[in-house]
Amino acid sequence: MKRIMLVTLCLGLLAGQARASVDWESKGMQIAGEILANPAAFLYEFQQDLEGTTPLPPGKRFGFQTGLWGGALPTIGVMPSISGKFRLHGEGRIAPGLPQLDLIGGYWNSPLAGMAADQSDDITDTKFNGHYYGFLLSSSVSPRVRTFWGFKKSQLKAKISFASTADIKLLGTPVNSIDTGFEDSFFVVGLESPKGLNKLWSIQLNYGMDTQTIASKVSWYGKYFELGLNIYPEGVFVVHPVWNFHLNF
Amino acid sequence: MKKLTLILAITAGLAGRLSAATAESSKIFTPFFDMTLAENGYLPSEGNIFSGGHINTQVGLLAKITEKDQVFGLYNFNYGGPGFAPQDTRQFTDRSLTHGFNFEYRRSLGRHWRVRPGISFSKDYTRSGANETWDQGIYNTESKGFQVAVDYNFDAERNGFLTAQFLTRDIEFPNYTDLFQEFMNASATSELSGGQQDQRLTQVSLRPNWNKFFGGITLTTQKYKNQRVVSASGAYADEKQKDTSTAFDFGFHHSLWIFELYPTLSYTVRDSNQNYMRYKSLTDTSPYFMEDNYSFKELSFSVPVDLNITSKWAIGGAMSVVKRDYASRLRRDVNNNYIAGEKQENTMTTLTGSIRKRINDVAMVRLSYSLVVASSNNEFEQYMPYNYTGNSFGIAYQLSY
Repeated sequence: MKRIMLVTLCLGLLAGQARASVDWESKGMQIAGEILANPAAFLYEFQQDLEGTTPLPPGKRFGFQTGLWGGALPTIGVMPSISGKFRLHGEGRIAPGLPQLDLIGGYWNSPLAGMAADQSDDITDTKFNGHYYGFLLSSSVSPRVRTFWGFKKSQLKAKISFASTADIKLLGTPVNSIDTGFEDSFFVVGLESPKGLNKLWSIQLNYGMDTQTIASKVSWYGKYFELGLNIYPEGVFVVHPVWNFHLNF
Repeated sequence: MKKLTLILAITAGLAGRLSAATAESSKIFTPFFDMTLAENGYLPSEGNIFSGGHINTQVGLLAKITEKDQVFGLYNFNYGGPGFAPQDTRQFTDRSLTHGFNFEYRRSLGRHWRVRPGISFSKDYTRSGANETWDQGIYNTESKGFQVAVDYNFDAERNGFLTAQFLTRDIEFPNYTDLFQEFMNASATSELSGGQQDQRLTQVSLRPNWNKFFGGITLTTQKYKNQRVVSASGAYADEKQKDTSTAFDFGFHHSLWIFELYPTLSYTVRDSNQNYMRYKSLTDTSPYFMEDNYSFKELSFSVPVDLNITSKWAIGGAMSVVKRDYASRLRRDVNNNYIAGEKQENTMTTLTGSIRKRINDVAMVRLSYSLVVASSNNEFEQYMPYNYTGNSFGIAYQLSY
């Protein structure tokens, strides 16, 4: 016990000696290794940034969304996307307490893939696109709280084929093509709460049931824009700042 | 050990939540939702910078069948990412993932008594790096079991009740392989995975709760179905492994003026009959036998204080200490030699400062900085750091309904 107290009293002094250095080169190698170990999962994190997985606001029948920024990418240019939401059932319409049911989905296709194939003699074919679809159920549990849960199926395709004359090496190994993809079924659960007039705040968890992919999203959204922090605790870049544009009718 | 800790933590968490969701309601269905999301950056004095998160999500539904009968179902998702941890528990880079399902029937018996039988299932994944697959974690477990709890409400006005609970879990480790046996039996050509860690866990607890004061005593026994203890000869003896732990804990959550205090204190005595044979290398011909390697006494306390400056903003400070003294295990020098007469002691102290903002009735966000000082008289740190300091910065969201 005396030792505990001693340690405690000395913590202030130790704080100055809590020396630690960052080995950025080693960290960079680790990040590169994680990307190469599963490039599709890394790319899918950017797809999740532009997926619309919050329910339509009460009273709205359909909505559109496109990603402006995700992680470190201007997704509006690199991964232009269109997402949609359609309300099949308004909360309590058919029977009291029956949740709101929204269909959700979206598609993106990168123009960089075609540009790379057109402008490079070494690249013969490229594909870099993805889509998702699913549904969300949402139910008000108080005037200021709405819970939602649902399901989404997501798929990403990334392929690049090199010409036989190209001398492409990855970590010293010759490669002819890189063909990777990601596909999983996700369980979605979250909670939404108003912050003001036409302003909402939500927190949600997306869990991939086959790959155990974890994504949590904290979002603030209004009439036109959604600002978010997407956190991929097992991802390469753990925190993705997100900016999306949406219109709901 | 880390699996047991996780299972018990979830069990305790479920118990707490089940009690927390007992408020009477006129509704037939009452949903329950609680989500905590934290992400931290870590800078240790030993090793490189890393990040880690923690996510805990609970989704439940309470169905009121009659005035006296209720059914409660709860799904719990827990993710624990890389982070600092007390010595001898886990590596910095370890991470775990748990899905837990709990179903409970509640029957009120008169004004004061209530009985709560239930069943529980859980699946746990572990891995030590993002480049491993969750499905192949050596400490992955599948657990199933039942519990029965009896509540005696002695002070309805101040939420005073006494809860006695018995629970049992059958825990299987489908991927566990016995490295020691493989090493001893060099002719073995495949992994030995005959359920060596499979065990039955039983737990009895008695927990009083009154006016936001809580505490209790918890007795836990783990009986291994196949794992036998290592004998001094280096071979397995006939005796099977059995671990018991007795834990006392106490805490409260009270406010005094602008101060909000929620300290906790616990003391655990763990007794295991398992021993340890230390081989310094694959060619070590004179291994050292450490009897009673896993028995210890552990004291831990945490004293968090929040100063509620306004209704929205608070400044927080916390100090927590975990101190473990082994009953027999000797400390080791830097060359992995046991030092006669000097038992191993570990201490980990954490000081935290934070700023908390209440977003609305159900949500809050907290920014925090922590300084960790881990010290031990064990100087052999080839596989796990025992003496280090560390800094961590983090952000946490909590949303509860």
